Amino acid sequence: MTSTGRDSRLPSRIDAQVLENRSEGGNNHRLVLSVPDWPGAEPGQFIMLSAGARAAVERSDPLLPRPMAVYRGHAPAAEPAAGRVEVLYRVSGRGTQLISEALPGQRLRVVGPLGRGFPEVESDASAVLVGGGTGVASLYELAARAVARARTTVVLGARTAADLMGRDDFAGLDIDLQITTEDGSSGLRGLVTDALAPLLRRVSRPSSTTVYACGPTPMMRACAELAESHAVRCLVSLENNMACGFGVCLGCAVPARRGGFALVCQSGPVFDSNDVRWQDLP
Amino acid sequence: MSGGIDTRVCLAGIELRNPVLGASGTFGYGSEFEAFFDLRRIGGFVAKSLTLEPRWGNPPPRIAEAPSGMLNAISIENIGVAAFLEEKLPRVPDGVAVIASCFGTESAEYAELAARLSSSPRVAGIEINASCPHVKSGGIEFGQDASLLAELVRRVREATRLPLLVKLSPNVTRIADMAMTCEDAGADGISLINAVQAMEVDVETRRPVLSNILGGLSGPAIRPIALRMVWQVSQAVKIPVCGIGGILTADDAVKFLLCGASAVQVGTANYLNPLAALEIAEGIQSYAERHGFARVADLTGALETRSV
Repeated sequence: MTSTGRDSRLPSRIDAQVLENRSEGGNNHRLVLSVPDWPGAEPGQFIMLSAGARAAVERSDPLLPRPMAVYRGHAPAAEPAAGRVEVLYRVSGRGTQLISEALPGQRLRVVGPLGRGFPEVESDASAVLVGGGTGVASLYELAARAVARARTTVVLGARTAADLMGRDDFAGLDIDLQITTEDGSSGLRGLVTDALAPLLRRVSRPSSTTVYACGPTPMMRACAELAESHAVRCLVSLENNMACGFGVCLGCAVPARRGGFALVCQSGPVFDSNDVRWQDLP
Repeated sequence: MSGGIDTRVCLAGIELRNPVLGASGTFGYGSEFEAFFDLRRIGGFVAKSLTLEPRWGNPPPRIAEAPSGMLNAISIENIGVAAFLEEKLPRVPDGVAVIASCFGTESAEYAELAARLSSSPRVAGIEINASCPHVKSGGIEFGQDASLLAELVRRVREATRLPLLVKLSPNVTRIADMAMTCEDAGADGISLINAVQAMEVDVETRRPVLSNILGGLSGPAIRPIALRMVWQVSQAVKIPVCGIGGILTADDAVKFLLCGASAVQVGTANYLNPLAALEIAEGIQSYAERHGFARVADLTGALETRSV
């Protein structure tokens, strides 16, 4: 697959100290980690996070770390001790439950930054960012950087208002922010594509417009199809199970349009939607 | 060798700086770990199993979590022997022992792979993958049938003068018999165990969690099984044994050495901690120091079995 992002910084493994870890309502949580010597990250890059606080005895159940988008913390640390990484996550199983129980001062294992992120938004372009569920977390930094360079619209969607992630942060950016909820408890009642479709119909310069989508696979596939029908480029940040995050377990392979597979952790997570064989994704 | 402890071991004629290798299929082609540590600080690694031609693996989902372990059904996705020799091997720093793992559906394919790999001075040894639990043909077919296994080892033995290891499947009735078969057929060492054949089901969707239905269970869940098999095989053969199976910590690795392994391979642990192999190597050395062993090699078979 064509690589969409810039070269990533070298990853490292760090036992990072929890500075903050709190519920944001519903099952959504915000985690702030102190990550000494953090090299920074590109928008769209991710970390692997141990499923629970580290203890003297290595935890074996659950065994595998969880991939998490870097929500904020894309700038390299000004001084080694000042490295910070912020993560938005949703408690959806035992692993994320254990992460939510990590207290300030305890340590979580971080491996990262990993993957290839979004390419820089072109100046004077139009950027339409579409985030669904936890996918929102991959888009904040991209939105923050796009504001100064392009006309930026952000569509955030969730099942209910309580499930919406990062809404206040996005509201603080100078962007056109649209909200959709499936139950209508906030913003437009419906799916993110119900907001995206009219936006794309109004696009005057398709060649300088890009849709950036991250969320559940059916959502990204629908965004990709909508964008294609309007001759607009679509970049997606794929989510997948992975054991390592750095290209050795081969567990996160997705079917590639050119044949064979591509690793989400290595070629992605950001892909041009045309490079993915959507019909063969589970 | 710092701290007065001699960490060197010899595995089937392969001289290793210390007894820790990255296990095949969990260590890529080595370069994936260079961002994390200097590969010259571990014994070396067994590269991802190679086939004669490049090969794609199974469609997703390929992995799933299990209690204290994981299931995988990747199916020997690899770049092929030519690309390994031309592109990957030259990037490995000198002084890192690289063992090449071979996979095929016929013994002739294994033999050709071994011959081609033996042409490179950078390949320290050959490991026959006779145990991949989730491909439709090849691999485990050899590892579960003693006469097929003997023929396979003989064919590869004729094709290479490099140290020859055979990686055994735990999915057999009598593991020691399979090891003795390999020894008789000319193997220089036995690596064990590969993943345990397993499956898991999602009750909500009523589907298997893996596209391949069956997969291989790895991680700490299988470690006591692996330890038992290493013990049994060490008792049964004279050639060296390389212990594999759910090693997460230095203590885990020491158990395998005590049960007769000359070296160990760290597998699934690399996924959750890319520094696992290095930390285990350092931890083994500390263990030897604390327990008054001058040489790490002396840990091999040092299990105390007198009744207490």
